[in-house]
Amino acid sequence: MDNNILLEIKDLHAGVEGKEILHGVNLTIRRGEVHAVMGPNGAGKSTLSAVLAGKPQFTVTSGSITFAGQDLLAMSPEERSWAGIFLSFQYPIEIPGVSITNFMKAAVAARRKAAGLPELSPAEFLKLLKSKMALVQMRGEFAKREVNVGFSGGEKKRAEIFQMAMLEPVLSILDETDSGLDVDALKIVADGVNALRTPQTSSIIITHYHKLLQYIVPDVVHVLKNGEIVRTAGRELVDLIESEGFENING
Amino acid sequence: MDRKVYTVGKDPVPGKLTLGAGESFFATFVVEEGVSADVTMEVDLVGEGASLDLAGVYRCSADERVAFHLNVRHLCGGCTSRQLFKGIVGGRSRVVFDGLIHVAPDAQKTEAYQENHSILLSGEAQVQTSPQLEIYADDVVCSHGATIGSLSEDELFYMRSRGIPEAEARQMQIQSFLSPVLGRLG
Repeated sequence: MDNNILLEIKDLHAGVEGKEILHGVNLTIRRGEVHAVMGPNGAGKSTLSAVLAGKPQFTVTSGSITFAGQDLLAMSPEERSWAGIFLSFQYPIEIPGVSITNFMKAAVAARRKAAGLPELSPAEFLKLLKSKMALVQMRGEFAKREVNVGFSGGEKKRAEIFQMAMLEPVLSILDETDSGLDVDALKIVADGVNALRTPQTSSIIITHYHKLLQYIVPDVVHVLKNGEIVRTAGRELVDLIESEGFENING
Repeated sequence: MDRKVYTVGKDPVPGKLTLGAGESFFATFVVEEGVSADVTMEVDLVGEGASLDLAGVYRCSADERVAFHLNVRHLCGGCTSRQLFKGIVGGRSRVVFDGLIHVAPDAQKTEAYQENHSILLSGEAQVQTSPQLEIYADDVVCSHGATIGSLSEDELFYMRSRGIPEAEARQMQIQSFLSPVLGRLG
């Protein structure tokens, strides 16, 4: 067994509301790698991220996912988070009445408890919060705002990366994090993601543009079409997609 | 201002109130889990500048029966009334909210607001809400609203994906839903 393998997806068939969307996806990610999953709209990119995070509405009909040696499909969404999976949502959810501070306090406390670590003191938590806010250039009042309520598109995506920084995931999945971002916000997001990279952690960047991949350079690029990965190659595949589109890239 | 809190089932609730010029009444009703009760209240606003502010919170989890019958009458112009009732209804419990705001023909410059929002936690729980406005004056600001919904599954998954356990996430949702009323309890 290769101890460096962080995530292994084998022949994954999955869908939603009785309709199969992924028709046998295979994907292996090693520690330290950044993978890009590219593909046209409707290819199944968001289904893949939803299945990895454990969204209840999605069902896996066959295949397996092993994460750090564990059967990921047997784990609840919160257990997956504790194990180190983080999904940056394409459409972050608004939670009226819950402040960013209280949201993160609950998330960090649950994670530390699951890891058998003592609770952070209020001062320690505040220090952590401020350092991670600085990473995505969020100002003081941000922590008091209700989660994603009234945030602009760019603020929502930066807030996702802030949450990611707070939770220090082992595998981060960025689902269309670049959509709706201007260049400045894109750079802030990319800098944040790059700053969090370690030789032990991996990322999956789901996108249909090459833009974000200029700032977060992938080691491996996959093309997902009609629920299957039709090609896997190095970063040069990004340029090929950029010049020729997805139509001519097939198995 | 005097802010009253009535724990329904323990504290006697005034059945009939008359507010004269400049008088105000600010109260919050709390119906705790396991308590069945009928809150019936009539308030007449009879003097200019009278102000009424009522709120209530209910949490039913088993087979409670909770009813609110509120009758607010603006008999004089220039008065304000506000009502905000929110609750969580689970198990096989039943909640009735029956609220009437009456604005008399010459009660101009009345401001009256009424809201009732419930979250159903089970398929067998029931809420029947009937907010009613009877307005006979023409220069008034009045609104009422009622919703019956469920906790958002998208919110729940978002919280769980950040590692917040399901039960705790549900509690956070409930707290945030009730917070406009709970915030009055100090």
